Amino acid sequence: MMLSIKNLKAQVEGKEIIKGLDLQVGPGEVHAIMGPNGSGKSTLAHILAGRDGYDVTDGEILFEGRSLIGLAPEERASRGIFLAFQYPVELPGVNNTHFLKEALNAQRKARGEPELDSVAFLKLIREKLAMVSMSPELLKRPVNAGFSGGEKKRNEILQMALLEPRLAILDETDSGLDIDALKTVSDGVNALRSPDRSVILVTHYQRLLDYIQPDFVHVLAGGRIVRSGDKGLAKELEAKGYGWLSGQDEAA
Amino acid sequence: MSSDTQTQHDVQEILRLGQQRMARVMPDTDWQSATRKRGTAGVATMARPDRKQEAWRYTPLGFLDQAEFQPIVEGPFDALQLSDIDDLMLTDPPRIRLVFVNGYLASGLCAMAKSADGVTLSSLAGGLGEVPAMLRQQLDAIAEHNHVFAALNSALMSDGALIHLAAGVHLDGPIEILHVSVGLEQPGICHPRHLIVLEDGARAEVIERYCGLGDGAYFTNALIEVSLGSDSELLHQRMQEESPHAQHLSDLQVHLGARSLYRLTLAALGGAWSRNDVRVTFGGEGATAELDGLMLARDRQFNDVHLDVRHEVPHCTSRETFKGILDGSGRVVFDGHIVVARDAQKTDAVLSNRNLMLARSAEVDTKPQLEIYADDVKCSHGTTVGELDPDMLFYLRSRGIPADQAKQMLCQGFAQEVFDTMASQALRARAGQLLASRLLTSTPEQGER
Repeated sequence: MMLSIKNLKAQVEGKEIIKGLDLQVGPGEVHAIMGPNGSGKSTLAHILAGRDGYDVTDGEILFEGRSLIGLAPEERASRGIFLAFQYPVELPGVNNTHFLKEALNAQRKARGEPELDSVAFLKLIREKLAMVSMSPELLKRPVNAGFSGGEKKRNEILQMALLEPRLAILDETDSGLDIDALKTVSDGVNALRSPDRSVILVTHYQRLLDYIQPDFVHVLAGGRIVRSGDKGLAKELEAKGYGWLSGQDEAA
Repeated sequence: MSSDTQTQHDVQEILRLGQQRMARVMPDTDWQSATRKRGTAGVATMARPDRKQEAWRYTPLGFLDQAEFQPIVEGPFDALQLSDIDDLMLTDPPRIRLVFVNGYLASGLCAMAKSADGVTLSSLAGGLGEVPAMLRQQLDAIAEHNHVFAALNSALMSDGALIHLAAGVHLDGPIEILHVSVGLEQPGICHPRHLIVLEDGARAEVIERYCGLGDGAYFTNALIEVSLGSDSELLHQRMQEESPHAQHLSDLQVHLGARSLYRLTLAALGGAWSRNDVRVTFGGEGATAELDGLMLARDRQFNDVHLDVRHEVPHCTSRETFKGILDGSGRVVFDGHIVVARDAQKTDAVLSNRNLMLARSAEVDTKPQLEIYADDVKCSHGTTVGELDPDMLFYLRSRGIPADQAKQMLCQGFAQEVFDTMASQALRARAGQLLASRLLTSTPEQGER
């Protein structure tokens, strides 16, 4: 298993958000996690990336057979976990190229691989840029500062393409994107699909799944996976909303 | 408490010793005597500032009681060679470089390109030949003695760059004024005095740096006069990188003609104790002043900036953007005072001071003050004091960047926004490197907390 989560319980600020969650992700698989707002989807994504303030109180998370619990975010990143943020953070004054290079080299160093010099790095980043149709101008600017919503998401996918994670978690990557941007971003993700790379798509809407076809779809509600299936489940959700799963009508 | 009399005595003593030595060594400079007399009179009548004076309330002057600063008039520094100051050089050589060692011009270290028409370079003590009349007349034309140290500078001014650009002259490439201080056996005090005059429509770039060679103890007491004619433009980049045991006081006084543009970037990174006073007076309509600054106060460092921006005529714009980075028991004082006179309608002024606290033991005293007497103006100010943003830190760490490095990148980024206002790429790079190395050396102290 690439990722194995068993009976996971977690709190944020003393409130239990994840209440006994199980999830198995095999190598090369794409899993979509869907669910209503407040169901714990983003919390799960941040727990996997190692964010402070998310306390795991029970259960286990094994990544390639080793526990992630207690590892710093940077250690998880170097082991191959990547979180594409729903709201990519702006870093004023931090040059994007510098950031990308430092990130790649920090991971390489942690893995005992040689660091890339500037020339090798620029060559590599140019290849990756083309993949996400991103303007090279954005490399010269501070990270995400003043980027449009679409540019920020492309920058996330650029980082993913550069860092080549084993497990990519995309947190609501489709939110705020127009169709063109959605297509570019999805193409980028699809290009990275490979037998030894797994993807978790966290999304509220079925729309993204038209572009990135998942192998499995799970519905998260009330801190648990309440239903799993293939991509047909997503269609069903699109038609019926989330209400039927918990026996209530979707108010909105 | 007898501290007032005792400390006043200290400043008087600095004056007395300085005058004694000067009488022996300085060449005959009659044209400076009016300034010196005015300075001497000022020192005699002005008390040493204390906490009762608003402008000095947060500025500790205890170091004056602890060291007996000796006047520097001559010394072993004549022997300095270019190779000795290699580490201080910018990677991209300026068009012209004037080097002062312990307050005196070191001709052997200067780089004088063939001077352009309409550009006059001279030095106060005559090291670059006789000082032309137009520069003599301008010296001390706008300087105010707002405190006893400014008066002390006028009384004892040692040497300094005198720069004049004739009307319409555009000088490409920067003029660098590089101060190098070498610690002496006894802590010394020097009083550099610079004058920059741009006539109507002239344009220039000046880099002014204060560097310590080694980690000696000394006191730099500088005064800089800048006079800009109508439609002129000056890019003024100042970097304070004094030794960790130095005291540095700079009093910068700027007078702006109509439609002139003055851009100042101040990077105050070094010294044990540092105070920068900046007074900008708008003398003609339509002028703009953009003032940016970064203050670093690491463990036990004190870093103080006082702005006094005087909008006295209508239709002028000023931007004051100052940032502080504090660590350990560092202290920053920021006093941003903007006065808009009754006639100064359509003034547009925005003052901001943001501070990044890396340790809870650090302290910042910030005081933005807008004093507005006109009724049709656009003025605002904002101040923030905060820690590193946890969202930013997590973002960097989630990409594999270790926590310490992530913190440093964010501090660099915070400062970079100020450094990016420098026209000189070489200076920008140096400021960035200097900040990085200083932040790095403070990491162990941080770790203990």
